[in-house]
Amino acid sequence: MTLSNLLSRTVSKVGSRSMFTASKPDTVRPNWLRVGLSFGTAALLWGLLFKQHSTDVNEYKVRNGLE
Amino acid sequence: MGLVPDEAKALPPPAIVNRNSVWLGFVGWSTAMLHNAFCHRPPLKSGVHRQVLFSTIGWFLGYHISKYENYIYSKLDRDMYQYISLHPDAFPRSEKKTLAEVTEPFHPIR
Repeated sequence: MTLSNLLSRTVSKVGSRSMFTASKPDTVRPNWLRVGLSFGTAALLWGLLFKQHSTDVNEYKVRNGLE
Repeated sequence: MGLVPDEAKALPPPAIVNRNSVWLGFVGWSTAMLHNAFCHRPPLKSGVHRQVLFSTIGWFLGYHISKYENYIYSKLDRDMYQYISLHPDAFPRSEKKTLAEVTEPFHPIR
């Protein structure tokens, strides 16, 4: 008995279906939740970046006595 | 941020458009396009939300990397100048000679 034979016997036949193989990728109907989350996260990151930058500029001005 | 200590805040912060941001944003965008290509999708038109998200992540990381880079190089420069000021005999200033003193007299052979 080869090892692969033994292994295939021990795998449960009831098992579970993986989410990744259960549905084919649908190119016609976009997953709007995922699209919304992506754009939302991107907008959040840009906002964070601009806020951090303005904080940094103010901090620099304060520490060097320019304001 | 956690990357840089408090003294780094006295340095001028990098601009929003900086070298590392541009490069990493481009890397993120090309990652999304490569993913499209591997999945046999049109590279530019499909998954715009992915392209936007990946390039944004790259841009964001690039900004903080630029800040860290500025701090590290400033620290190195400061330490170097401190060392030079503490050991002046190790760095003698050479006297400047004019070209008239250095060059040999000109005897033209025509």
